[in-house]
Amino acid sequence: MKTLEVQNSQIFDKSAISFLKRNVFQQTVADELAGGGRMIALTPVDKSNPEKIVAVIAHNASSMIHIIGGKFENGKYEFESWAKEFPQTNYFECELSENYGYLPVNHPWLRPVRKQNIILGGKPYPFYNIEGDEVHEVAVGPIHAGVIEPGHFRFQCHGELVYNLEINLGYQHRGVEALFLKSNPAQRIILAESTAGDTTIGHTFAYCRAMESLSHTNLSLRAETIRMMAAEMERTAMHLTGLGGVSNDIGFALASSSYGRLRTLVINSLALICGSRYGRGLFVCGGVRFDVNEEIISQYKENLNVVLNDVRQINEYLFSSIGAVSRFEDTGAVDKKLAQSMGLVGQAARSCGLEEDVRIHFPYGAYRYNPVSMITLSSGDVFARARLRDLEMVEALCFVLDQADHLPAGELRIEPAAPAADSGVVSMVEGWRGEIAHLAFTDVNGELTNYKIKDPSFNNWYGLSLALRQTAISDFPLCNKSFDLSYAGHDL
Amino acid sequence: MNDAIKIRILQGDPIVHDVRNASFPSRYRGLPVFADKECPPGCNKCVEVCPTGAISLNPLKIDLGLCVFCPLCQETCPEKIIRFTDDYHVAAYPRERLIVGRNTKSIKPEAASEKIRKYFGKSLKLRQVSAGGCNGCELELTALSNVNFDLGRYGIEFTASPRHADGIVITGPITKNMTAALSLCYEAVPHPKIIILFGTCAISGGIFKDSEQIDRKFLNDNKIDLYIPGCPPNPLTFMCGLLDWLDR
Repeated sequence: MKTLEVQNSQIFDKSAISFLKRNVFQQTVADELAGGGRMIALTPVDKSNPEKIVAVIAHNASSMIHIIGGKFENGKYEFESWAKEFPQTNYFECELSENYGYLPVNHPWLRPVRKQNIILGGKPYPFYNIEGDEVHEVAVGPIHAGVIEPGHFRFQCHGELVYNLEINLGYQHRGVEALFLKSNPAQRIILAESTAGDTTIGHTFAYCRAMESLSHTNLSLRAETIRMMAAEMERTAMHLTGLGGVSNDIGFALASSSYGRLRTLVINSLALICGSRYGRGLFVCGGVRFDVNEEIISQYKENLNVVLNDVRQINEYLFSSIGAVSRFEDTGAVDKKLAQSMGLVGQAARSCGLEEDVRIHFPYGAYRYNPVSMITLSSGDVFARARLRDLEMVEALCFVLDQADHLPAGELRIEPAAPAADSGVVSMVEGWRGEIAHLAFTDVNGELTNYKIKDPSFNNWYGLSLALRQTAISDFPLCNKSFDLSYAGHDL
Repeated sequence: MNDAIKIRILQGDPIVHDVRNASFPSRYRGLPVFADKECPPGCNKCVEVCPTGAISLNPLKIDLGLCVFCPLCQETCPEKIIRFTDDYHVAAYPRERLIVGRNTKSIKPEAASEKIRKYFGKSLKLRQVSAGGCNGCELELTALSNVNFDLGRYGIEFTASPRHADGIVITGPITKNMTAALSLCYEAVPHPKIIILFGTCAISGGIFKDSEQIDRKFLNDNKIDLYIPGCPPNPLTFMCGLLDWLDR
């Protein structure tokens, strides 16, 4: 058996992975990718001893996750890059190379992921550049005009049109994954909450599920349902933020201020449950910390019904405005095939017509009993990305309101046991941006040997580059906001 | 046109009018208070569970500059001594005022110097710099400009360029990769200028304080004017803190 097949957040024995020799490993991974697999991680099993690595490939059709091990002895960390045939693997290879010194031979574009040589001295990194009459270069960032996170953007333009956009990140690198190994469980949950502060619930969800699987802890349906409601609230709140952002970027003040008000209502409703507008403190390993009572539910339903009623009218107003739609349509379009080959996930993928949703392909928690519907649009432009968020938000609101009426009974939290020894787990959840994956491996004492996090932004930043091709540079803010990606989640 | 008016009517009057006496959900975690009873001898459970080492004993103190308001100490204390209240007035200057002891009933920043109040009392423009912020603090700062909080009513606004700013607001634990950009940005702000630290990460490094990827030298080299604790701080904590500091 060359590959190990597991389900989402299913604990497995580390010894069940067979670590293949380089050539077999390369070929097996290539076969998996050719069979429609999507890479979600490429990382060592033990962070301090990188000679054994795993490639983790997700298969939507079968809802299975395949784990292929590779062993690279005598310090010869080289393999033939898959990226030429399967561009989706290129960034994973860059990351493995940067963190552990692996060399993907014949990689089309080996580049820094989080390292900042340009700033810290050392060898300057050569940005991709174009030469010719009237070609000019625009450099933006790391600090941007708004109150947002830092990142550097390098545009190669011909007049107003962008030929190429290179995105250079890493400014937010806080060493989250390294800290996971050094920290105790009480610290780890705060780290998970702070991995990307706009996806607090998404990342904490993935972390808790990973730890619960490693310790064979089963949650009550009540705890699972509260978690699912919180995740959908986060989705609603951030979609409102994003729609407010795109409205603001086209100067549509009435819509942007309305979305802002409604978002406040949603996150304040979350604070009713757990005290934090971002859901901090709600999740604990083994369940949830706070219960909901009649009083909270009634206040919560009152708020969300206002949001649902108002947002339908505002969406209708925004998307029937000729001025708005003409700015959205055909702006920053990404082709479906390209999106698939680059491995885009989440709402960026769904707006190109790709069916990618962890809640549906790899159902987890209470989503196993409460299916959500797959929403896709086909045009892949700013319009599709904005409209998709509108549709998803309304669905999420209805879903949460429905759940609030049928909360099952059960224990709120259970004390989890210690993580099992010599085991591993892949935990995936659908955050509001898309697929979040957390990988954990333990040693003989049940201590973590590697903790790998993949935020959907890791897949999707390149989508923004694609969207900008042959798009006017003045549309960059609008395109950027329509993708709404995380810097902290990428930089870790 | 009719639709626009309808939507404007839906907006109603969403602004928080009295920013100093807003009502918060009962589960909100603001200023902690301590019950008037002795800790059991030898008990250090709260110190052990605190993820950021914010608690010290004999006498019992919580440093809000380190606290991430996670309620583990409140949950763990066998005598139920520690309790987080919904008091959101926790901004402070100097730094020591963030340390909550048994006698702390409220927290308020010392008013800024007369010169600062004269310059910035009626108009204050700030440039925000995220230096490893997770986007939690950034979202709360963005929320300050929405229709609920409307920070602009006090003449306080965020600017795009440091050249137009009177000071900077730092979020995040200050990553190595942001040190150069942060210094450049601060240098670009004309004198006199202020520095506000927003959020636990900015004040102490928070959960990231022991990371090798953090470099907080910038803070040793420059004077800090106001500390806003929280993870993330509520927008009203920032507003009231600034108003108190400007003595308005």
